[in-house]
Amino acid sequence: MIPFRAQVKFFLENPDSVDGSLFVGVFQRWIQQKALDGLLIDVADYRHVFEGPGVILIGHESDYAIEYRNGRPGLLHTRKRGLEADLPTQLRNTFRLALAACELLEAETVFIPRLKFRADTIEIRFADRLQLPNLPDSFERIKDDLGVALAELYAAYPVQFAPVEQDARYLFTVGVKAEGVRDIAALVRHRQPSAQP
Amino acid sequence: MADQNWKTLLHDRIPDERGQEIETFAGQVELRRQHKLDEKVFAETRLRWGIYGQRYDNGQRYDGLTTQTLVFPAGDLTKGPNTYWDAPGMVRIKIPFGGVTPEQMEVLAEVADEYSDGILHVTTRQDFQLHFVHIDDTPDLMRRLMAVGITTQEACGNTVRNVTACPLAGVCHDEAFDVTPYSKAMAYFLLGHADTQDFGRKFKTAFSGCEQHACALVNMHDLGLLARTKTVDGEVKRGFAVFVGGGLGTIPHQAKLLSSFVTEDEILPLAQAIARVFARLGEKKNRNRARIKFLVEQLGIEEFSRLVFEERDQLPHDDRWTSYLSEVQEYHETPTRQPFSLNGQAKPDGFEAWHQTNVYQQRQPGYVAVYLNLPLGDLTSTQMFALADLARQYAGDTVRTTVEQNMVLRWVSEADLPDLYSALKVIGLVEPGINTIVDITSCPGTDTCKLGIASSRGLSGELRDQLTAKLPTLPDAVKELKIKVSGCFNSCGQHHVADIGFFGNSRRSGNYLVPHFQVVLGGKWKENAGSFGMAVGAVPSKRVPDVLEAITNRYASERAGAESFQDWVTRLGKKEVKAMLEPFTHVPAHEVDASFYADWGDTREYSLGDIGVGECAGEVVSLFSMEIAKAESNHFDGLLALDEGQYAKADEGAYRGMLLAARALVRTRFLALMSDDPTQIVEAFRAQFYDTKLFFDPYAGGKFASYLFRRYENPPTTVDADSARRLLAEAQLFIEACYACEARVNGAITDLPGS
Repeated sequence: MIPFRAQVKFFLENPDSVDGSLFVGVFQRWIQQKALDGLLIDVADYRHVFEGPGVILIGHESDYAIEYRNGRPGLLHTRKRGLEADLPTQLRNTFRLALAACELLEAETVFIPRLKFRADTIEIRFADRLQLPNLPDSFERIKDDLGVALAELYAAYPVQFAPVEQDARYLFTVGVKAEGVRDIAALVRHRQPSAQP
Repeated sequence: MADQNWKTLLHDRIPDERGQEIETFAGQVELRRQHKLDEKVFAETRLRWGIYGQRYDNGQRYDGLTTQTLVFPAGDLTKGPNTYWDAPGMVRIKIPFGGVTPEQMEVLAEVADEYSDGILHVTTRQDFQLHFVHIDDTPDLMRRLMAVGITTQEACGNTVRNVTACPLAGVCHDEAFDVTPYSKAMAYFLLGHADTQDFGRKFKTAFSGCEQHACALVNMHDLGLLARTKTVDGEVKRGFAVFVGGGLGTIPHQAKLLSSFVTEDEILPLAQAIARVFARLGEKKNRNRARIKFLVEQLGIEEFSRLVFEERDQLPHDDRWTSYLSEVQEYHETPTRQPFSLNGQAKPDGFEAWHQTNVYQQRQPGYVAVYLNLPLGDLTSTQMFALADLARQYAGDTVRTTVEQNMVLRWVSEADLPDLYSALKVIGLVEPGINTIVDITSCPGTDTCKLGIASSRGLSGELRDQLTAKLPTLPDAVKELKIKVSGCFNSCGQHHVADIGFFGNSRRSGNYLVPHFQVVLGGKWKENAGSFGMAVGAVPSKRVPDVLEAITNRYASERAGAESFQDWVTRLGKKEVKAMLEPFTHVPAHEVDASFYADWGDTREYSLGDIGVGECAGEVVSLFSMEIAKAESNHFDGLLALDEGQYAKADEGAYRGMLLAARALVRTRFLALMSDDPTQIVEAFRAQFYDTKLFFDPYAGGKFASYLFRRYENPPTTVDADSARRLLAEAQLFIEACYACEARVNGAITDLPGS
């Protein structure tokens, strides 16, 4: 099963110090530099909307948003189009692309202090109410595949994941917590070779 | 589960006929994907299904340094001429009379989550728009919407667009009667009707319950219906004053009265007759003259009226003309709560300011309508889900969108307001300021529109932020002003009917382009868009907040008694208005302040490269600047003459302005042309710039040149206020087009440093 769209969100560790307006320029520069895999197309600025998607780097295969949902800013990567063979592969690619964007953002010197993303807490959403409605049964359907992908992502770090209890109309969401992992760089280092596409 | 898809899942919830139409469209998507359907045919088809192109869908995007080619995975496959298949697009969702139910709101939120970017945008036609949608996803999106009774059909293209109506219809104190069921009947009667399928351009319809307010803007519609009653033999009859031929666009037209009273049972056949006349006689080849306003102008309202009523008499009977009237009598909205007055409850912080601007006392005692002030018309899917809940809990079965890009919860018991306020605050929807200067309307502009010249949303957001901070200290007369912003001359942001309007344009400064906004003053929003404003000068985009402050400060300090903004502008005179703007027109050199060379909310160096491909001659032509200044001066003299009631002089000023602008352009290539003779200028302009298509805008084509040619070939025998005003507006656009052409031809668009 391949969900229509899979999303992963890495939360900012220091959200209060972030100037959201800077993301417009950073993302526009990334388009110039073709800084991420895939076709990058445009930047959409929704900072005026309450707890919205903030600033989005729109791509063909993927979007990258500095999202403010529930007052918790973070990088939300949406895997929109692609030809993954199965859910674990789709998730691997989603993690890989999201981590790449987080690493790049952490390296951006326009942010003072530098941005830092939490590696121990992530949220995975499935924007596919047809195949994966926000119901308990959905978790059973993806649990094993998700477990495989998360084990690869966190390697030796113990990881727990469970559905996020929320309004049934919202996207089916899984919360992930890992122990001991220090930072994004550690996740990048520990990603298994098999995670490469 | 593996075979599950939206088509089969929703099969039983979609009416057969509508379902079949969607499946036909889905089939056409597949045919086009296989190159078995012509791209032009497919483009018109998808437009009729509300699926628009977006900026950069031609595979080119200026990234601030150079124009990048966007290589889409689907390769050369297109969904229309020069429009790539994989390029993200916009979907417009029709919401007749702006009415949505909580169930519909939930599905709108779902599709925004799954196919778009999680944002729902309310438009100036009470529609919703989703952006960045892939064409492959549109059939499922349509199925899901249709399962709750929403269509995207005929939301774009040369069709009958969404039928709008006053969002307070049924609860308003001043209406003759509730126009809701009539607007709904009209929307579904005309949808897909055989007589509305062969228009040369779009057709917009609006219903208003009264004359004095602006909620439906009937004066600026192709077809406007104003509720009236008439006593006949002691019986009160419902009917409508019917107006035709209004519209904004590049040159605004006030609608003409077709009939002062059409009985309720006659409005549908009359609309059908109007559609037939428009389809039969309206312009088809030149889309710039194809709106019904041009047909009405060409025929005159008397002849147009004669043709319409003659057509009406010949129409074969249709039961649908009157079958809905039984529902009109039964039509009602069911409030969730009993009406109770607000009486001594504790009020949360911020409640009073919000209550003052965002709450409307309904005609029905104990009930209020609550406006939700949506920034730039946007809300998230999460907010939409929560709003659906609040509608169920506190309001009725219908929520409305407004033409000012907001939403309204009706039938709220007044006693529930503190609790509702608290609940809305949790989802960030208690921004006060409805119907004030902070409630700014804006089209998408360069954010997503292919025609955008300047960032209307960027400017609107900046003005909104600045004005919101100042709102408590602003004089009441300033608070009440309306601001509307369009990204180009096409007035999708309705800048013509604002007290203070802006529309995007550009100016050249050395080898750079600078985003500008033309200032339009004195339009009237009240009285259903009672009059249109006039362009008084262009200022750099980054100077607009200062310009606004100067205008509003001066209005506040010089206003005589209860003098309206329109009256003050008229009293001040265009010469003085121009002088007021003049200090803000200066653009510092790029090396002194580069911020002027980027648009609001955009860090890229400003360019028009995304809307057209220019040629490169590569040299600054200062002569042009000097020559075009003369054109502007003559045009301005025309504006002054109009103010003084000297219409012939106004016409002459407009015409001279166009001639000099054309000459300025010709002299960039043919310096020897010194003559003032109109024939020499027009012939040289035609040969050098029109026949060669150098003057042609990528989207407007040669439209603006036709203004000069028409005035040259058909000098008026008499000039009245209307014709003088129109020629001045046309001259303004022609001069703007000359600026754009010069910049295009001489390299500022594509020949930027570093490119």
